[in-house]
Amino acid sequence: MSAGRGRTSAGSRKELVCIACPIGCRLVVTTDASEETTVTGNRCARGESYGKEEVLAPKRILTAVVPTDSARFPCAPVRTDHAIRREKAGTLLADLYGRTVKLPVREGQVLIEDFDGARVVFTRTLPPDEVPAVGKAGSEPEGQDEVTRLQQSP
Amino acid sequence: MIARSVDALVVGGGSAGLAAALRLREAGASVAVVEREPFLGGILLQCIHSGFGLHEFGEDLTGPEYAERFIRPALRAGIEFYLDATVTEIGEEPGEGAAGRTVIALSRSLGVVRFTTRAVVLAMGCRERNRGNVAIAGTRPAGVFTAGLAQRLVNIEGCVPGRSAVIIGSGDIGLIMARRLTLVGCEVRAVVEIQSYPSGNTRNIVQCLNDYSIPLHLGHVVTRIEGRDRVEAVRVAPLSTEGEAMTGREFRIPCDTVLLSVGLIPENELSRGAGVPINEGTGGPWVDADYMTGARGIFACGNVLHVHDLVDFVTEEARLCAGRAAAFLAGAPVEAMLPVSAGANVRSVVPNSCAPSRETVFTLRSLVVKNDARLIVRVGGQEVRAKRLAHVQPSEMIRFVLEPGAVPQALPGMPSSRAAPTVSSMEVSLQ
Repeated sequence: MSAGRGRTSAGSRKELVCIACPIGCRLVVTTDASEETTVTGNRCARGESYGKEEVLAPKRILTAVVPTDSARFPCAPVRTDHAIRREKAGTLLADLYGRTVKLPVREGQVLIEDFDGARVVFTRTLPPDEVPAVGKAGSEPEGQDEVTRLQQSP
Repeated sequence: MIARSVDALVVGGGSAGLAAALRLREAGASVAVVEREPFLGGILLQCIHSGFGLHEFGEDLTGPEYAERFIRPALRAGIEFYLDATVTEIGEEPGEGAAGRTVIALSRSLGVVRFTTRAVVLAMGCRERNRGNVAIAGTRPAGVFTAGLAQRLVNIEGCVPGRSAVIIGSGDIGLIMARRLTLVGCEVRAVVEIQSYPSGNTRNIVQCLNDYSIPLHLGHVVTRIEGRDRVEAVRVAPLSTEGEAMTGREFRIPCDTVLLSVGLIPENELSRGAGVPINEGTGGPWVDADYMTGARGIFACGNVLHVHDLVDFVTEEARLCAGRAAAFLAGAPVEAMLPVSAGANVRSVVPNSCAPSRETVFTLRSLVVKNDARLIVRVGGQEVRAKRLAHVQPSEMIRFVLEPGAVPQALPGMPSSRAAPTVSSMEVSLQ
């Protein structure tokens, strides 16, 4: 059998490295003719559930950046709030790269309400461009007001 | 020039600096933070991937989300922030009987700012090893980036560095960037690792390389970078058991971009200038159980002290450090401390001494890859504590808590002050 993947008349067999913890158990996940999945090589229960999910429906959190209308902050980082099916990632990325978002945005603000059962949200608070980057000469030494305006959108 | 006086000055507004500043403020100290970027959060802001905060918050956060958990409270805590300002010098306050430090910062908007302070917390983080550090032969074309710089270009500036890339080194940033480049349309042709095992964690090998079928060449070395104006290819050869490149089996990978993920170095030029002694094992300052460096009143935490693999542990260390800095400001008596050294199979241990009456959180780097290892703490050659570890490897930091009273308080020759010589010492080793 080559490259850890194979198919027999009775079902399929896949070799994986468990990523539930740093030990990295080498798992063998077998699916028999009646679609029953068994995991061997794991040292704990987390390995078994990881092995099954990875074979049945691999899911990942997707993170990316979306172009903005700002010159100072040209990218706004986003994430899916839950893992989405791995094969759906390309569709979501194409959607995100085609957008231009207007600043300000807040961390946690929703960009897409539902994509494959997950929300797409902004992960960083970004101010609009009219807010000065950092205080002009002669401003108060604390600099606190500038920071507040910079970091927190209205 | 602007002159300011504060109880504590924190150099760096990233994960370590923010957690330290908040902790000092909670203890009632007046605190200023100097940050060279025009925003707070440090490198976390370019780490848009998830995997942060599992220990600290029990949640799987992205870098910017983790940063905002500290930026928001810090902005409300009455901390003075100096952004877009670079610290150029840490000195001693002149004058008779002066107990403080002076810190000079330069800012485009404010000019020179001179701080007088009683405690300095170093929280400058680390920087990347580059092509010069690993001596790769070949021409000097455009298109060679450190992985963290490429991460900033893609995630902050919105630029894609090339169309096809080879990544040298399998550190976590390199693996994360292999996935990130793939998702922005730059084809990653290979990751080349000189060692026989990956330097990054397994989770990243699976999610960043295997998910996208990116080849990982373990035990291989890049022998040459080719190209005149722009990178055109790299040449790669396997290593023999003697560690020599086997040029007869060399192969060529065409690409226009090379990323280097070959390790991080604590950024200590400022510390050295202030007379802070550096530990060659970590690249960061020697610190005692109070996280105080060899220079009185100067403390260090986070990646400037030693390179961590999880930001959660940076936060924990910054709080511990700032708690001790607050005690120093309050004039707490200094307890006798036992020097701590790295024993067999241990590359480095932090902190470098132990205060027996208090809990000490030690972090270690292993020199070996091993399952079912045993961590042993000896004082004066006598075993005082041991712990079984399921798995150790150089790329995974080991955290070990020594409870109060684990080592005897009164030992022969135990120093009664920070600088006194000592007979007894403590050693941490792996078996």
